[in-house]
Amino acid sequence: MTIRLEIEVTGAKILLELPFGITITETQVNMWLVMLGITALCIWLTRGLKVKPTSKRQIVAEFLVKTAENFVSGNMGKKWLWFAPYIAALFSLALFSSLISLLGMYPPTSDLNTTLGWAIMTFVLITFYKIKTNGPLGYAKSLTEPVFIMTPMNILGEIATPMSMAFRMFGNVASGTVVSALVYAALAAANSALFGWLPGILGEMGEKLPILQLGLPAVLSLYFDVFSGVLQAFIFCMLTMLYIASAAETE
Amino acid sequence: MITMAGTLDFLSINVWHILMAIGNLLILVLILKKFLFKPVQKILRQREEEIGKTYSDADKALSDAEAEKQLYLQKLDEAKSEADAMIKTASERAKAESAEIISGAKKEAERRRRNADEDIELAKKKAAEEMRDSISDMVISLAEQVVEKEIDPKVHESLIDDAIEGLGE
Repeated sequence: MTIRLEIEVTGAKILLELPFGITITETQVNMWLVMLGITALCIWLTRGLKVKPTSKRQIVAEFLVKTAENFVSGNMGKKWLWFAPYIAALFSLALFSSLISLLGMYPPTSDLNTTLGWAIMTFVLITFYKIKTNGPLGYAKSLTEPVFIMTPMNILGEIATPMSMAFRMFGNVASGTVVSALVYAALAAANSALFGWLPGILGEMGEKLPILQLGLPAVLSLYFDVFSGVLQAFIFCMLTMLYIASAAETE
Repeated sequence: MITMAGTLDFLSINVWHILMAIGNLLILVLILKKFLFKPVQKILRQREEEIGKTYSDADKALSDAEAEKQLYLQKLDEAKSEADAMIKTASERAKAESAEIISGAKKEAERRRRNADEDIELAKKKAAEEMRDSISDMVISLAEQVVEKEIDPKVHESLIDDAIEGLGE
C-alpha cells in the first residue's frame, strides 16, 4: 500500500489582472487589509486625547509612541528620532503581515516581493546615507578598498545586505507555511492510515475525521506564526536601524 | 511521493509587487505619522508645557510668599521699634513730669514754711510790742502809785523802753 501526500506549495493567488502586466494578488490585498487595520487602530487609540489622560486607550497610544521613539533613539541615537515613524510602520506592517496567517489568510511576508521591497528600501537608505556622509567620491572610493581588485566583492557585499534581509524574513515566514502544510499533510496521511483499517463505515469515517491533526499544527503555528513573526519583524527593524545608523556615521 | 506544484509562483519576482510593497510601507509611514505620532507628540508637548508652567507658577508663588514674609517681618520690626520709642518717650515724660511735680511740691513746701516763719516772726513782734505796751502801761501806773504823781509817758518813754528792752532779753 502506498500513501500519497498531496501537497501544493504555491505563492499568493492572483485575484485581479490589470493592464501592463500588473497583477493584484492576495499579498497586496492582505497587506492593504493590515494597513487598514493599523490605521483604524491608530485612529481609535488617539481619539479624544487629553493632557491629563483619562482613558486606557491614550496610555496605550502614548506607550506605543514612546516605545518606538526609545527603540529608535536607543539604537540610532537621539538625532534619529524623526525616523521612529518609519521603523514603527516597518515593524507593525511586518508583524501583522505575518500574524495574519493566524486567521488562515495568506501572509504577505511569505511573498518574496514584499520583503525584497522593504529590503530595497533599507538598501536605498543605507546607500543614501553613505553617499551623504562620505560624498559620492568617498563612497566610490570605499568600494575599491583595500585594493582595487576587491571592487566586485565590495559591490556584492553591498547588495548582499538587502538580499540577506529579504530572504531571511521571506524564508522564515514561507518555510513556516511550508512546514505547516507538510506536517498537516503527513498527519492527514497518518490519520487515514491509522483509522482506515477499521472495518466498514467506521473506517470511512475515521479516514475523514482529522483526529491526529488536532494538536501539533496548533503548536507549530504558535512557533512559526507568532514567535517567528515577532522575531523576524524585530530583526528586520533592528538591522535596518543599525545599518542606516552606521552608514551615517562619520569616521 | 510528494508533489510540489506552483514552485515558480512560490518564489516569483515581480517588479510591480516590489514597488507596491515599498509604496505600502511609505503610505503606512505617513498614516502612522498623521494618526499616531503627531497627535500623541502634540499631547506630550502640551503636558510638558503645562508641567513647566505649574513649576514656574509654584516658584513664583514661593518667591512672592517669601517677599511678603520679608515685608511682614520688616513691618513687624518697625512696629516693635515704634512701640519701644513710644514707651521710652512716655516713660521719659512721666519721669520729667514726676520730677517737676516733686520739685513744685518742694518749692510750695518751702514757700509755705517761709510764710509760716514770717507769720511766726510777725506774731512774735506783735506780741512783744503788745507786751511792751501793756508792761509800760503797767510800769507807768505802778510808778505813779509809787511816786504818787503822774508820769508823763511821753517824757519817760525812752527810759521805760530801755527797761522793757532789758526785760525782753
